[in-house]
Amino acid sequence: MIQKKICMVGVFGAGKTCLVQQYVHSLFSTKYHSTVGVKIDRKTVALDGTDLTLLLWDLAGRDDAADISVSYLRGGHGIIYVVDGTRRETFDQIFELQTIVTNAIGVVPSVLALNKVDLTESWALKPADDAAMAKEPWQVIRTSAKTGEGVEASFAWLAKATVTGAAQ
Amino acid sequence: MTGLDIFGLTDVGRVRAGNEDHFVIASMRKSVTISQSSLSPAEAERWQGGGAEAFLMAVADGVGGRPGGELASGAVVTGLLGYVGRAAGCYQQFSLEEEHLFLERLEQTVRDTHEELLRVHGESEKAPATTLTLAVLVGRRAYLIHVGDTRAYYLRGTRLRQITRDQTIGEYMMDLGAWTEAQASKASAAKSLASAIGGSELTPSVGLIDLEPGDTLLLCSDGLNKHVDDAAIAAVLGKAIPAEAQARELVALALAGGGTDNVTAIVARVG
Repeated sequence: MIQKKICMVGVFGAGKTCLVQQYVHSLFSTKYHSTVGVKIDRKTVALDGTDLTLLLWDLAGRDDAADISVSYLRGGHGIIYVVDGTRRETFDQIFELQTIVTNAIGVVPSVLALNKVDLTESWALKPADDAAMAKEPWQVIRTSAKTGEGVEASFAWLAKATVTGAAQ
Repeated sequence: MTGLDIFGLTDVGRVRAGNEDHFVIASMRKSVTISQSSLSPAEAERWQGGGAEAFLMAVADGVGGRPGGELASGAVVTGLLGYVGRAAGCYQQFSLEEEHLFLERLEQTVRDTHEELLRVHGESEKAPATTLTLAVLVGRRAYLIHVGDTRAYYLRGTRLRQITRDQTIGEYMMDLGAWTEAQASKASAAKSLASAIGGSELTPSVGLIDLEPGDTLLLCSDGLNKHVDDAAIAAVLGKAIPAEAQARELVALALAGGGTDNVTAIVARVG
């Protein structure tokens, strides 16, 4: 069976754990629990008739992007960068995180998940941000761990990309 | 790892007639014991003994409130011995590049024990069941597998963090959004286990954490944390005393606080 390690990366409270919970268990919790270290979940998906197991490494978020533990990234086949679309600072920090990740493990298939898209009233990203996002080698997908919007699509795209080697 | 000071103990407490907690601390070494060889002594010495060492530590708490508690206790002991043996086997094949396989085998060991308990005793409220918090320290990386409401904490500096999340009905209902924290605190079923080895549900939680020199890891049964709060735990783990003294002090605090349950603690300080 093919296995691929996917790392969930983002600053504190962006929704990394909620996205994994929604994807693996179809669960959304309103109670916030910060992750300590790394929590690992697994999900097996069928891809072109072959079983592919995704090892989902949910890395603890930090207040400062520079605090990410790069040792956890080793062997990562794909990255999901998670931004809380209602907190502008989580978007600003994602580019620094991307640099740290790329320096650690090189360019691997990546998704930029713009999370909490259900909270349209509080959305803090501007149309002008699209240009900055478009420059980077990642697939941008709007997600909501609460409603499930974009969650399956994010992991499905990344699963396929890790096999085909597509960067974007 | 430059050094690990580790100690564990268990106490029946002040109320229970028997102790259904169990713990184990074991070291695993990638080593070869040569009985005889025509190799030169120097060459033989190169292979003999030594090797990277890992430490396995685990706390299990036989599920209370079920008839056959003694049976559960015995099953836990058997299960733990199985963990040690099988985990040691896993470690022989350990490499950082394939650490996910190591974790999978550890988790499978837990699932195998669960299946064995179900096979022998069936699935009922009378069947023996247990919680488990297991950590394997390889270098400074701690691999954790957790079931139920035994806990793992670590202290870094003065900050204590709970690594595991209790797998209880209360937590599960709050996850579903069905209960608020206030409702969970009042519900009699909130502390019932949502996951147990040998129980009707088993959902092992798997994770890891990289420890730093000076960090202290604590595994404990709920007999400790129901009487000793986080601040008191942090104060004890923060003392510059050996792990044995810290473990004894934590258990003494739980007993002084009422000792209403069996209490077990393993303290491991990374050098």
